[in-house]
Amino acid sequence: MMNFIRKPFGYEPIITKEDLQKDHKKKVDKASDWKGVLKGIWNLVDEQRFLLVIVLLMVVVSSALALVGPYLIGVIVDDHISKSIFVGLSKIIGVLLFVYLFFSIATYLQSYWMIGISQQTIFRLRTGLFEHLQKLPVSFFDKRQHGELMSRMTNDIENVSQTLNSSFIQVFSSILTLVGTTVVMLLLSPLMTLVTLIIVPFMYFAMRWITKRTSKLFKEQQKAVGELNGMIEETISGQRIVKAFSQEGRMLEEFAIKSERLKRTGFWALTYSGFIPKVMNLLNNTSFTLVAAVGGLLAYYGHVTIGEIVIFTEYSRQFTRPLNDLANQFNTVLSAIAGAERVFAIMDEPIEDDAALDNADYVLKGNVTFEDVTFYYNKDDESPTISNVSFHVDSGKTAALVGATGAGKTTIMQLLARFYEVNGGRILVDGISIDELPRHTLRSQTAFVLQDPFLFEMTVRENIRYGKLNATDEEVLHAAKEANAHDFIMKLPHGYDTILSADGGEISQGQKQLLSIARALIADPAILLLDEATSSIDTVTEMKIQEALERLMEGRTSFVIAHRLNTIRQADLIFVMEAGKLIESGTQDELLQKKGKYYSMLTNSKT
Amino acid sequence: MKTILSYLSPYKILVIVALVLMLVELSVELVQPLLIAIIIDDGILAEDQQAIILWGSIMLGISFLAFLAGIINTYIASHIVQSYGFDIRQALFKKVQAFTMATFLKFPTASLITRLTTDVTITQNLIFMGLRIMLRAPLLVVGSIIMSFIVNPYLAMFLVIGAPFLVVFLYIMSRNGLKLFSKVQKRVDQVTRKIQENLQAVRLIKAYLRGNFESSRFASVADNLKVDNVKAFRIMELILPVLLFVMNVSLLAVLWFGAKEIQTGDVELGELVAIINYAMRMTGAFSMFAFIIIFFSRAKASSERMEEVLKVEEGIEIINEDSEGTTPGIGEIEFQHVSFHYPTTDLPVLKDVSFKVQPGSKLAIMGATGSGKSTLLNLIPRFFDTTEGTILIDGIDVKEWPLKELRKIIGLVPQQSILFTGSIEENLGWGDQAATEELLREAANQAQIHESIEQFPDQYNTRVGQKGVNLSGGQKQRLSIARALVRKPEILLLDDSTSALDVSTENALWEALEEENATMLVITQKIRTAKGADHILLLEEGQVSAYGTHDELMKDSTLYKAIAESQQEGGEHDELHS
Repeated sequence: MMNFIRKPFGYEPIITKEDLQKDHKKKVDKASDWKGVLKGIWNLVDEQRFLLVIVLLMVVVSSALALVGPYLIGVIVDDHISKSIFVGLSKIIGVLLFVYLFFSIATYLQSYWMIGISQQTIFRLRTGLFEHLQKLPVSFFDKRQHGELMSRMTNDIENVSQTLNSSFIQVFSSILTLVGTTVVMLLLSPLMTLVTLIIVPFMYFAMRWITKRTSKLFKEQQKAVGELNGMIEETISGQRIVKAFSQEGRMLEEFAIKSERLKRTGFWALTYSGFIPKVMNLLNNTSFTLVAAVGGLLAYYGHVTIGEIVIFTEYSRQFTRPLNDLANQFNTVLSAIAGAERVFAIMDEPIEDDAALDNADYVLKGNVTFEDVTFYYNKDDESPTISNVSFHVDSGKTAALVGATGAGKTTIMQLLARFYEVNGGRILVDGISIDELPRHTLRSQTAFVLQDPFLFEMTVRENIRYGKLNATDEEVLHAAKEANAHDFIMKLPHGYDTILSADGGEISQGQKQLLSIARALIADPAILLLDEATSSIDTVTEMKIQEALERLMEGRTSFVIAHRLNTIRQADLIFVMEAGKLIESGTQDELLQKKGKYYSMLTNSKT
Repeated sequence: MKTILSYLSPYKILVIVALVLMLVELSVELVQPLLIAIIIDDGILAEDQQAIILWGSIMLGISFLAFLAGIINTYIASHIVQSYGFDIRQALFKKVQAFTMATFLKFPTASLITRLTTDVTITQNLIFMGLRIMLRAPLLVVGSIIMSFIVNPYLAMFLVIGAPFLVVFLYIMSRNGLKLFSKVQKRVDQVTRKIQENLQAVRLIKAYLRGNFESSRFASVADNLKVDNVKAFRIMELILPVLLFVMNVSLLAVLWFGAKEIQTGDVELGELVAIINYAMRMTGAFSMFAFIIIFFSRAKASSERMEEVLKVEEGIEIINEDSEGTTPGIGEIEFQHVSFHYPTTDLPVLKDVSFKVQPGSKLAIMGATGSGKSTLLNLIPRFFDTTEGTILIDGIDVKEWPLKELRKIIGLVPQQSILFTGSIEENLGWGDQAATEELLREAANQAQIHESIEQFPDQYNTRVGQKGVNLSGGQKQRLSIARALVRKPEILLLDDSTSALDVSTENALWEALEEENATMLVITQKIRTAKGADHILLLEEGQVSAYGTHDELMKDSTLYKAIAESQQEGGEHDELHS
């Protein structure tokens, strides 16, 4: 029996006594930062605060009407029915009819407006979080699982949403009803009021016991949901691999482990929070009995009237119901805070902030200088990914980056686009350090064709237009033709208006690359970064688009990563990278004369 | 909803126990007004102090009984709900794992994620309510009505006058709710999809500075969700005020006619008070009703979405876990008049493709972008089934092969290197949990990645995947090759998997792969790679345009010649050795 209480249905406890004692000693409940979260949400309510005041007014009205109802019924029972006075009864009932009508109207209006407010607030929270994500540095995303972040956007925010929908009104109306009932009770009979109030301290302790546990459990639960989400997203996105390697069974087992964790935290969270209404019920019933029994005794001795007891039994309900609601709401609020905290945790991540920088309107000429640049992806990496790289590329020139994979070529480009911050040295564009240049200014004049082509779930046309949002249809068509993508686009079911599916399923990787080249062609950058832009494209097609690419590179500073000799040979400068270092640089002729690494690379390839 | 019930059936007994406990609580609540009537009539009015104390203690005693029942009910209900959630998540995930690639085209990832998480939670909420209060509200109402009929049938009649109207009203509301909430869930899918897309395209969005553009696109998706949510909830919130009003009017009727009856002496005061009390309890229960309808409609919408997944019959792979891999494949591949188009379009991707690859030999597949090369490879492990024609492995139609056996002898390296969150070691051993460390290192060596791994700070324990370090494109490709090699496949399918490798690394890789003696199908853009193959298959718009050795094709195929010329030494596409 004891064992069942400790581990019901075999659920291992999550919160131990030691945990709770530890918290007690620390005196700081790390489980939640109430004030911060509530303030954050209050800020989001923003210009709707006026409407919120109106909602509160409606709550006052409906709460008042909720008090008037039973009062009038008490009057009817006491003054009319028990005294057998039936004159004026119809009048009071008529009044009551209106009271109830307005009560219903007020109830509806308050939820009507509150839903608008809360959903607008949630909308702001969601879009705010999304906007914030847009401003976070690339390094933030390197360390997070997609599904986990997605969970914050949906599950956690949904938690807040449900609470805002109902809790705000509930809490406020509960407090009002509570205050109102207490006042009326005091006016009617201080003695009976005291009897009703006896249970309050018990409620307080019970709630404290429960919420101490739930506030932690809710957090754990949201975390478990996030992890499960992460796993689902990754497995489904990588389904081809799962199938190719026949790992369905193992995925199912791994899923079961994560799912089991959620089940366990969920069980405890649900159980503890489920205690609240039960405890409240017990206390309610006790209070109800006390009112009836003690009231009965008092009536026996003539201290109170029977009407008063009838009213008080009702009031004891009126009094405990809001307390009940408050207790339940408190719990919901806790779970919302657990969700909101995870959202605000991301909001607190430092963003790529350029607000303080001038040069917003600076027009790049495209002189690029690396001065002794050193970079680590992780602080605790032993060897840097880029170490002490220095070079200069004049405006309008083309530089080819060559070297083995993992030598740091892509990283050089990513640093130039300021996806990451250098750890040592400086990168200068036109003599201005890029950290003094707003990212907007830098990136708006840079076009980057990435190694992995990505297309959005939009039409082909919109995907190409992504490079220049105000491009005309003619421009899109032109770019597509230049990139040699026009022919295959025309074969798609709806041509340029074909909506590409989630993973770009039915078009090939090479075709994706053609589209991303078209996307770059349509932008009009000062600096062009081509990272293996044509790696999946067959060489015959590549020859066709080469001309377009060359035209594109003309007059722009270009950095190119490629294996093809022809591309490299045409570059004004060649940088040879090895293990993060720049080991050789110069023109094709210079490097060949030097007979160094580049020379050996070239001669090797001919043998 | 049937699905939900069927997943609850293993917990039938517990459900019954929980419901019984709930009934205990409920009866206590129903008896209370009766006891109060007794206390008033027999105790206070009769001036009997003993009776007050006696009935008072009985009231206290039974409320404690109700409390105990409630606490036990909580434990049981939580257990049922969480077990149900676990079971249905497993079932869903299992089903999804069995989807064919074609079925995945119908269910976007984002939608599957919502179905496996949010939708499950929504139905869990309903069940939890169901086991604790949902039945309670209707029962409380019914119970209250019965009790009031016992107390005084005439007055009780007025309580149920509005009932027919309410039934119709609630039915309409729940129908509406179902529609509205399914729409809301679809919107949630879209929000999820949008954020997933953005996470995948972080660099692209930053490079093109489309943060604001994306935010505004997201805002429109989020706005749709908001609008539909507002619409759904605003309609559903109508329920409560309407219910309350109808109930309150009935209460007034009771009062009015009650007063008259008391006047004539047909009704006692205590009876009227009790009925008023019941009426007020019903009012309380009615606010629960509003909740229930909302929860019910939401859960129904969600359960239909889960059922859509669970009910998928076609497009399911049958994987027999028990089949023993006793017959090692030899690795012969034959395509017989294979034609194919994707299920979503009628556009043919492959047309009448036939060829045969001898065990242990190497076939290079070349062709223009979009000529169907990757599609051809994807048909071999049966990611998709041919529209026409057959593919034979070791002389047996792939459709006859047990899927697990078939895929076991195939090592696939896809064009896009997908790694999973975890260490390098975990990723290498991903296809074969039993692989020894030695085997992993051997595969890494063959794939020319061992040295690079050794240089990472945590070597084989370096974390990769979504939460991992930045690997270069070539490093990912080689890890992905090593992962396939660990399983010692008889057939190795390489989908342009060496595009990011420099020449010397690639040469070393091919040399190492020769030792494997596997049948290799290699998609490549490079003549150099093709030269090393026994045969070359040239695809043009889904059809075989040429087949033969390098020398043969140089003679016969103008397209092949054009490709070769473009890559000739010193030509347009000669490559750099590093």
